Amino acid sequence: MLIQIILIVAIILIILRLIYKLRGRDIGLGQFSIWLIIWLMAILVIWYPKITSYLATKVGIGRGVDLVIYISIIVVFYLMFRLLLRIEKIERHITGLVREMALKNNNQENEE
Amino acid sequence: MKILVLIPAYNEESTIGEVIRDVRTLGFDILVVDDGSNDKTAELAKNNGAVVLSHQINRGQGAAISTGIAYAQNKNYEIMVFFDADGQMKAAEIKNLLQPILSAGYEAVLGSRFLGRAENIPLAKLLTLKLALLFTKFTTDLKLTDSHNGFQAWKLSTLAKINLTQDRQAYASELLEEIAANKIKYQEVPVTIAYTVYSRRKGQSVFNAFNILWDLIIKR
Repeated sequence: MLIQIILIVAIILIILRLIYKLRGRDIGLGQFSIWLIIWLMAILVIWYPKITSYLATKVGIGRGVDLVIYISIIVVFYLMFRLLLRIEKIERHITGLVREMALKNNNQENEE
Repeated sequence: MKILVLIPAYNEESTIGEVIRDVRTLGFDILVVDDGSNDKTAELAKNNGAVVLSHQINRGQGAAISTGIAYAQNKNYEIMVFFDADGQMKAAEIKNLLQPILSAGYEAVLGSRFLGRAENIPLAKLLTLKLALLFTKFTTDLKLTDSHNGFQAWKLSTLAKINLTQDRQAYASELLEEIAANKIKYQEVPVTIAYTVYSRRKGQSVFNAFNILWDLIIKR
């Protein structure tokens, strides 16, 4: 089907970008591997949708599509949670830097 | 004891000058932490004789207070008074807040507008504060009459024991939790908070209570 080809081409582009990021050292090998596995699994599922139906009946869910949606939602929530934690950490660091600058500027003014 | 009055300020050019002049008549050292204002707050504070520390970008009242505490520790101050820049508080009452620390050995003094007076308090604000009081009772078991009043005095040696992590308004709840957790010897004293049209516009919107709850419950 056409949709399968479109999705797979899109994913291949994403994987190419991932490789580019790895070579540019924007991401580590560990992170690269995780994403590569996820996207390869996505290609597999798109090419052989029956796999999901098989797995779904194994775990007691009616349709393959449902299983994919459930798993996707869990993954998205987990990633969101991680992002939230990361943002919190960045915010704390920014505040720390802003504070350091404020204190340092004051000291410099006093010396002048 | 060496006393510092800390005034965190964010875009308060219309009130900051007068507030500083009022506090200065009492002879205290004043530190204004300008929290990334884009008006003349910092300049006016400096011209009126306050020491000014400037945050390059806005980080919130909790962050500004922590910066003030860091400064006071570097300069060996012994007592710190938290005072608002929007003109809601009465400078003359600072003495009442200092008294329990200076002569009765308390570590923290919390102003209470419900022991004192809350002039022209909007109803929604009143209800929110009462809810905050219940929340405080529930989370810390402190028996307070007013839980989120920014008019406070602290011994710096006591503040040194506390690690404030909240950048925004939730720092106020965090301070109370630290009082409970560290069994800090505190007292409430009556203060007057006068709600003016300006302070109502500038002050905490009632809806911000939800943000504070989010900061306290989810983000820790």
